[in-house]
Amino acid sequence: MLPLSIKDDEYKPAKFNLLFKMSGWFRSILSDKTSRNLFFFLCLNLSFAFVELLYGIWSNSLGLISDSFHMFFDCTALLAGLAASVISRWRSNDAFSYGYVRAEVLAGFVNGLFLIFTAFFIFSEGVERALEPPDVHHERLLPVSIAGLIVNLIGIFVFQHGGHGHSHGDEGHGHSHSLFNGGVNHGQSHGGHGHGHESKHGHSHDHGHSHGHDHGHGHSHEDNHCHDDPCSPPAKGPNKQILQGIFLHIVADTLGSVGVIISALLMQNYNLMIADPICSMIISLLIGVSVVPLLRESIGILMQRTPPSLDHVLPECYQRVQQLQGVYNLQEPHFWTLCTDVNIGTLKLLVAPDADSRWILSQTHNIFTQAGVRQLYVQIDVAAM
Amino acid sequence: MACEPDRVRLLCMMSLTFGFFIVEVVVSRITSSLAMLSDSFHMLSDVIALVVAFVAVRFAEKTQSTSKNTFGWIRAEVMGALVNAVFLTALCFTIILEAIERFTEPREIENTRVVIWVGVGGLLVNLFGLCMFHGHAGSGHGHSHGGGHGHSHGNKKNKRNKICKAETPSGNGSSVEETNNLVGNCNSPNGVNSDRPERHDLMQENSLHIHSNTQYDELDHGDESASQLNMRGVFLHVLGDALGSVIVVVNAIIFTFVWQPCPEGGPCVNPCVDSHCMDHNHINHTLVSVLTNSTQAITSAGPCWVLYLDPTLCIIMVFILLYTTYPLLKESALILLQTVPKQIDMQLLNEKLRNVEGVLAVHELHIWQLAGSRIIATAHIKCHDPTSYMDVAKRIKDFFHNEGIHATTIQPEFVTFNSESRISLCELSCRTQCAPKLCCGNGDKPEKKATDKATGLPIPCLEIIDESPEHRGREQPPVEVENQVVARSDGEVVIQREVESSL
Repeated sequence: MLPLSIKDDEYKPAKFNLLFKMSGWFRSILSDKTSRNLFFFLCLNLSFAFVELLYGIWSNSLGLISDSFHMFFDCTALLAGLAASVISRWRSNDAFSYGYVRAEVLAGFVNGLFLIFTAFFIFSEGVERALEPPDVHHERLLPVSIAGLIVNLIGIFVFQHGGHGHSHGDEGHGHSHSLFNGGVNHGQSHGGHGHGHESKHGHSHDHGHSHGHDHGHGHSHEDNHCHDDPCSPPAKGPNKQILQGIFLHIVADTLGSVGVIISALLMQNYNLMIADPICSMIISLLIGVSVVPLLRESIGILMQRTPPSLDHVLPECYQRVQQLQGVYNLQEPHFWTLCTDVNIGTLKLLVAPDADSRWILSQTHNIFTQAGVRQLYVQIDVAAM
Repeated sequence: MACEPDRVRLLCMMSLTFGFFIVEVVVSRITSSLAMLSDSFHMLSDVIALVVAFVAVRFAEKTQSTSKNTFGWIRAEVMGALVNAVFLTALCFTIILEAIERFTEPREIENTRVVIWVGVGGLLVNLFGLCMFHGHAGSGHGHSHGGGHGHSHGNKKNKRNKICKAETPSGNGSSVEETNNLVGNCNSPNGVNSDRPERHDLMQENSLHIHSNTQYDELDHGDESASQLNMRGVFLHVLGDALGSVIVVVNAIIFTFVWQPCPEGGPCVNPCVDSHCMDHNHINHTLVSVLTNSTQAITSAGPCWVLYLDPTLCIIMVFILLYTTYPLLKESALILLQTVPKQIDMQLLNEKLRNVEGVLAVHELHIWQLAGSRIIATAHIKCHDPTSYMDVAKRIKDFFHNEGIHATTIQPEFVTFNSESRISLCELSCRTQCAPKLCCGNGDKPEKKATDKATGLPIPCLEIIDESPEHRGREQPPVEVENQVVARSDGEVVIQREVESSL
């Protein structure tokens, strides 16, 4: 019997539908609060940069054009952060057995590098201008930089609002330049208020930063109790690095705008031409200094360093394991951080031939789970006796 | 030591470049040329790149594990390579910005003679650096080991092939052809990380407690390919600088011969440059008409396209640089993302591992690359009982050796009761709280494994917590995986929660 109609569709391979893929990405972006914020801020920044570029071309001001390019450069940092926050949610596959979660650490690191590069660039330009001051048209620059400042303030507000994350063991408490502290302890906002859980360290930080937002509410959270809260998927914690990088970027931009405004005022009122390069140099130094904590943290993670939060706990755990019955020795412990708050460990135990391996294994797992290492691989080597 | 020549070369190049930077700064002050100053900052960035590479090499020499860095510092070189690649990319962006600025506002070059000389000097320095680093980055070096094992200099293919020939543990350095590989794709597409750990390990270490021994042998070999990545970054940086110098020299030469500048005396109009006093049209016309009325001939400055040559060449150079930097960036980023190394086929490995005698199931297999040729694997292996475990463990270790993975940690799991249905379940499931924390565990392993228990792909512990296999077959959008998974394990969650939160 001949078929009445021939439909080839089911035998054709699926077409690569770009639109479908992009809509998939959009859905993924809009679902998570972090990436939503990032996306909207990116759009805001992009549109502002375009406006500035067009205005600069129309009024033929080179300063505005170069400033708009600077904003485009920042947009690439935002884009990288957005891409990382989407990528880190992808599932693991054959090539990436741990999934893509390290992307956020990498994004934080690359952002930090870009920031250092920007600081270096601004510094060099400051030096050039100090040696050969160009004439700057301030009347055009001032309103634009004020507008840029407002945009960045929005960004700071958006990325700061709602909470503080954990602080790592020894970093970040009580620095004197409060401006950059916000970056270190920056966490992720929850969908709503009203969590009854306190942080491990039990205090809420009050980070002052340049524009007087004082967030006194300590929304510190641990990832443990996230599963009953559908509006805050557990991927929050992992976004810490990205957010830190983005926040520092926004702060750097804000500083730039503030510096331009200050130098413009100085030049208009006191005719201090040298103010511009000096402001640039100071700003670049500040940016460089603020990036250091982020860089240190991401370098530590990428270098497979023992997690700083476990530094004090681990020797005790080793002792406890070695006191288990049947265990002769604990060898080659390796503990490292996969992404924020996920620690992985491997170790080898030398045990007696008559020891109960199963019991030893489960006890070891218990001990380290209490320390916060949930993925542990324990190799049992029976001593040949 | 293998790294000595590296350090020496880096130091040498660093001092040369720094000296040249000083020269350029001085010259720029004398001739008060801004272009020279900005070029000198390019040199400075080159110095910084070299410093980064040097620091990375210094750090990576400390391959012994410290208390904080249990893996040693060998990853420093991958990081150095990444930093250099990112730096290069950022530099390219800056150059594009400057080029666009030049397009909108073309500038003449002043003091072309000085520029040519300085450009040639910079080019010589960079060519010298290129020779130094190209020679190193391309060749491997060989040394013989105690096991009567030698291999020829500069012949990387040998090392690569040694891994491929698994059955014949040929410890000899005789040049072998590329034969059929044990592992599916043994040959890596780009030749950089082609140094694989040597096979002599196979002969020396047949005992179980091999891990510490292999470290020493891997020391020398692992360093090579890791440092190659680093040196490649340096090489690309120097290449970029060399190209820049070439452009400067070419531009200056063409400028001297083609461009007719405005002569000192006499009126002259420069149509290419938008000077501010020519802003208004009617002033322009007045000026031109005034000039045309006079008897002097008006010279206009030389062909305008010369002014656009510089930015065009810059953009071409940027494209070349980006094209060559991208593989380096990708490779170092992939290593840092904990990918499975290119030459290892996970599916194949999994199947082979499952076929090893005594292995019932394999869970949570993770393979990643520390740096260069050091590959680390961890897995849970399910086997019958503790008494036969040591033999199984030995076989597994041998198996991993054959694959070229020497740092393995195998966690045994013993079957609690002889029920077939639970054979693929994880005995030591990582509790229920690990749902949000197991960022690797939310993979959805293919659904068909729901029925095919013993021989399927490893099912992460996470999904096993509830016994019913029907749940596994569900296709979930990636976003809600964590929530779904968490929801599934809700049943057993209740009791455990208090334990965890008291931490």
